[in-house]
Amino acid sequence: MKIVTVGMACLTLLLTAGSVKVCSGEVAFPTYSYEGEALQKVRQWEKQWVGKKISVENLDQVKDYVHEGISMAIKNPKNLGAESLWFTVAPYRPYTISKGVVAATKKYAPESKLDEDEMLTGYGKVAGYPFPQPKSGIEMAWNFAGNSRGDSHRNFTYGPVVNCKTKNERQAGMHRSELFWIGRTELAPLPSIDLKDNPRGIARSWFQRHTAPVDFVDTTILELQYLDHKRQEDLWVYTVMFRRIRRYSASQRTDSIDGTDMIYDDQDGWYTHVNKNTYSYKGRGEFLVARHQDAKQLQRIKGQGFWDGIQRERVNHWVVEVKSRDKNYIYSKQIWYLDPENWQMNFKVMYNRQGQLWKMYEMFYDEYPMPNGDKTSLASGEHVFDFIRSHGTCDIRELKEVGKPIRPDFFQTKSLKQKSY
Amino acid sequence: MKVKSLSQIFVFILFVICLTPCFGRASIMMFDEKLRVKGSLYEFMIYRTSLKEEERQYRDTELGLMRSKATLELLYKTVETEKLDINLFGFFQYWHDSVPDIDDEYRQSIDDPKKYQGPFFDEDDWINELYADIYAGKWNIRLGKQIVVWSEVAMVRTIDQVNSLDLRYTNPGIDPWDEMKLGLWMMRGFYNSNLPGQLVFEWIWVPGDFEQIRTPTEGTSMAGGLVSPPYGETGERPRAFGMKGIADEVMNDARPAFNIRNSQFGFRIRGNSEVFMLNDYYLLDWTVSWWHGMRSTPVVKTDEVASLNTLMGTHALSRLFPGSTSTPQIPDRRMMEYKFYDAIGFSCQSYIPPAKGVLRGEFSYEIGMPINTTSKNGNTYFTGNSERDQMNAGITFDRPVLVPWLQDRGWDVLDCSVGWNSQYKFGDVNRRWETYGFEDRTQSNFTLLIKSRFYHSEFRPVMSFFYNTRNWGYGAFVLAWLPTGHMRYSLGFMWTYAGDPTDSAVASSENGDFLFFKIGYEF
Repeated sequence: MKIVTVGMACLTLLLTAGSVKVCSGEVAFPTYSYEGEALQKVRQWEKQWVGKKISVENLDQVKDYVHEGISMAIKNPKNLGAESLWFTVAPYRPYTISKGVVAATKKYAPESKLDEDEMLTGYGKVAGYPFPQPKSGIEMAWNFAGNSRGDSHRNFTYGPVVNCKTKNERQAGMHRSELFWIGRTELAPLPSIDLKDNPRGIARSWFQRHTAPVDFVDTTILELQYLDHKRQEDLWVYTVMFRRIRRYSASQRTDSIDGTDMIYDDQDGWYTHVNKNTYSYKGRGEFLVARHQDAKQLQRIKGQGFWDGIQRERVNHWVVEVKSRDKNYIYSKQIWYLDPENWQMNFKVMYNRQGQLWKMYEMFYDEYPMPNGDKTSLASGEHVFDFIRSHGTCDIRELKEVGKPIRPDFFQTKSLKQKSY
Repeated sequence: MKVKSLSQIFVFILFVICLTPCFGRASIMMFDEKLRVKGSLYEFMIYRTSLKEEERQYRDTELGLMRSKATLELLYKTVETEKLDINLFGFFQYWHDSVPDIDDEYRQSIDDPKKYQGPFFDEDDWINELYADIYAGKWNIRLGKQIVVWSEVAMVRTIDQVNSLDLRYTNPGIDPWDEMKLGLWMMRGFYNSNLPGQLVFEWIWVPGDFEQIRTPTEGTSMAGGLVSPPYGETGERPRAFGMKGIADEVMNDARPAFNIRNSQFGFRIRGNSEVFMLNDYYLLDWTVSWWHGMRSTPVVKTDEVASLNTLMGTHALSRLFPGSTSTPQIPDRRMMEYKFYDAIGFSCQSYIPPAKGVLRGEFSYEIGMPINTTSKNGNTYFTGNSERDQMNAGITFDRPVLVPWLQDRGWDVLDCSVGWNSQYKFGDVNRRWETYGFEDRTQSNFTLLIKSRFYHSEFRPVMSFFYNTRNWGYGAFVLAWLPTGHMRYSLGFMWTYAGDPTDSAVASSENGDFLFFKIGYEF
């Protein structure tokens, strides 16, 4: 254990020293979760806990760093279809921030500001994190939107949708491709695809082909999100059973995605415009989360809607309360827990209209190499669980490629029917 | 006996499957993921709830259908290179309706139970689709038996005319059109251009294959008791083989042989265009199509008008005499023929931001639609054939309705779709021979479809309503339960309504209410 801890400390020092910390005027970037004395304290704490398995027996000893939702799950495992639940403690490892992200943040952040609609000025012509030292919730939300996840990636997501009461499971599976048309830090052209090659002003797009459940096999979905924040996303679904391409309405974005515990807006934490919500900063929060998760370590028994084997490390999050501007929105509020290093959402909790804690969505990340020699962080797994209905969705995300060009014309409706049977 | 054994095997397999725990992935991948295997086993049961006495005399039970259906879908990736992909796709099916096995009266009401009970109408009925799918750059060619869907709106068919329908076991309103379509052997091609509007060019050549429409078999439950014209005072029922039976025989005899001269052609352009108006963006998915095909119902041959009228008249008279058991003697020649027509179609769908819904529309103009003619008062069966133009239009508006109270209880939004479609007939409508809507220049239908999902999509309620302005229609209520990735259960009720049951063949099935239950296993 000592060897592991010392090794990780050395690695941390190396990474911290190796990273280019940029101070340009008021912009200090990258910003790490722990540095200096705080880091030393974390390392002290880790000496006791790294490698240990945490279950209901010793949960209270680390309760300061375990979110209430996780505690509820571990203390009431039967609600999630399990006999017992556990995770392990991993050492904190700072992320390697790519040269592209550092350069873009250094270049654009000094000029970043919000207009009266809380839109980022120059949106579509900038990249990186606009507010490395944020002062408000909305600035943190814009930082979250600034994470372009290598600009493009393809993955295969699969896992069960679990009714924890009956232990019935349905498999869900999909191949997904995503492309950022703006806010690019890795893939030329930077920072965005020129509007003459993007006349519709697409901000980002995703396409997915389902492999499960059976009646969803070969169903394809295409979504385009636009630069114009007042413009609704366009969503098309090609359903094999009906062999038709159907347009979906924006209000269907709060439907569950094929029976999972996620709605369309939940993808990657929040998958629509920043301006649809109001944000208030709630302070910092230290929690154990999975930032370097080896998906092979994730395990569960049949009927269990929550992963065991999560490798959690301590992170000092930015905590933001999020409320929709739509008074009828499905969630009365969400609390986002944002990573201070790359602004990814490590987890969020969602409250129903009655104000009860309803769902928790945890994403487990890992760092992946890109063709340009840098690394980026992407989810390697996730789970969402519904406390009220004892239901869970567990996924593994198998990364196929990241930071490689995807032809923009792939994200057209004509792709929906191709190779669908 | 053989048929009985098959049905027993099916029921046994389904029984075993229902008791089997369901694990595993959605489809089976084999040979280094080159072969994908999918399939299903379904049992669909109909229980008639309002059988009339005239029909009850031909039934021992209330069962209307007990169709066991097995499907097997194979996808084999033959060639996978950067420049060329070749996939082979096959969708095979087998079915058996057990009601004639269980119900002797029912079986005796059907002229040819074996042909009806399984995939024996045509030799290749067991092949639903079988084609090679070739991708090379922007080109995509599909060669083989295929089903084509060219429509946007649900519940009505306007421009979607490539494949004929098999209505012998299925119900519009419950089953999707796909389930009813008959595959055709064809060559189909696509060119995915980079032209403005993301244009995709599609063409179809059906070199001689043809399928007539398969209307419900006389004597079966789906035919709505058509065997039974009200009979005289003797109490003796007429024999089962009736007027629809003879018409079906004549129409079947008229089928053209597989001949390249009977080729059917289609061409379609699909595009996606953006329009900015009234301060909103409208992204239009549109198509323009042309179809040159054979009408799926035949017309009487000009030189056979008298013969066909005599045959039909003689048979009608013979049914009036009690105890008559002879079946009609149909001449060994074609008395009817299938003829070509052209249809030009247009479709469009777009999200309408101010209305927060999706508007879909279809329009087709049919040129030279072959029709049978009759006398103005309709007293004569046929007077000959002719051609008429006609126009069809259909519109649906889909708007999800969010009910917070339901959403709090785990429901998705209510996906509501209202629709209207209409047909306008040009020329003299008073001499058109029609199964229903005689002398009507227009026919209009209204549709309403409401569907949702709740409890993480395990439960899926669907309600659909159809109303024809001649005052008939139906409503279907279905609740599907999908507890696992493999098992499917559906329970539903079909309610039919006819203001004037004597008005039309469709409306005469006003006693067609039924409960249905579907159980299936998909892998």
